[in-house]
Amino acid sequence: MSSTSSLWLVIVIVGALNYASRLSFIAFFARRHIPASLARAFRYVPAAMLTALVVPMVAAVPHAAPEAGLSAQALVALAPRVAGAVVALAVAWRTHGTLSTLVAGMGTLWLVQAIVAGAS
Amino acid sequence: MIPACLGLVPFGVVCGVGAAGAGASWWSALGLSAIVFSGAAQILAVQLLAAGAPVAVIVLTCFVAGLRFLMYSAAMAPLLRPLPARAQQALAFLLTDQAFAAAVRRFERDGDPHAAARHYFGGGFALWMFWQATNLAGYFAGSMIPASWSLDFAVPLCFIALVAPQFRSRNAIVAAAVAGVAVLALAWLPMRLNLIAAGTFGIVAGTVADFASTRRTAR
Repeated sequence: MSSTSSLWLVIVIVGALNYASRLSFIAFFARRHIPASLARAFRYVPAAMLTALVVPMVAAVPHAAPEAGLSAQALVALAPRVAGAVVALAVAWRTHGTLSTLVAGMGTLWLVQAIVAGAS
Repeated sequence: MIPACLGLVPFGVVCGVGAAGAGASWWSALGLSAIVFSGAAQILAVQLLAAGAPVAVIVLTCFVAGLRFLMYSAAMAPLLRPLPARAQQALAFLLTDQAFAAAVRRFERDGDPHAAARHYFGGGFALWMFWQATNLAGYFAGSMIPASWSLDFAVPLCFIALVAPQFRSRNAIVAAAVAGVAVLALAWLPMRLNLIAAGTFGIVAGTVADFASTRRTAR
């Protein structure tokens, strides 16, 4: 199968599954009672899934060798992203704003990148 | 929803860049953003496709990453119950992380569910249009953005803005900590399967912590 037809297959199936998830309790299970334990598990889906998505994105240094491991260079390359993520988390906690989080995170990333570049 | 729109500009651009980098045509890139309408799923789909993962794995990973929509749907269901089925179906399509965060606040403040629904539909549709525009901009013009800007970092920042308010609850912190540690510890798994495993561990840990804390208070 060509990559174009695989992409369209993915678009159709993921699109349908995403829409089914979004519609699930609004339409299909609207009249059903949600078991208490399931409702409780639902509460932790965003915290767990969003963190599982975020952590590898922060830890992934673009253009780095994947097998570099925890060398000194890898830690230096990681420092701007980790600093940016920590500052962004603190700002997001206080302001709840996407825009302020973005500005604080990118600003910290660029600042630490400049410091690391100046030091080496 | 205007600040949410502006905050999503770099995210949409990164999604468009990712689709272009994976060799998708512009209309498939547009189909992906218009139909799937979820940045996390779009990025995972193009990354896994470029890495040669089978369609079944891509579909499963995107579904698990989208499990949070089930939770949003359950939270929105009582608010949308007074509306006709057609309106519910339309609003469900526009249910995103940002729309959900804005809508819950709006429905809680407004007494009138119809007025809140009109506001949600307007904002959600604007967000959808805006998402297509930023994705296409990233697809066509993304290569002009210097790599030194590290624009890809805007994507985790958008999710950090969404997840931070969850950390008011100690059990949610447990869920996030377990998921975060597990996703790194299991990074050796092929085809991003660590995402599914870590998400599941995190949800279980949060639920167990919740049951343990209610048992403590009941005693």
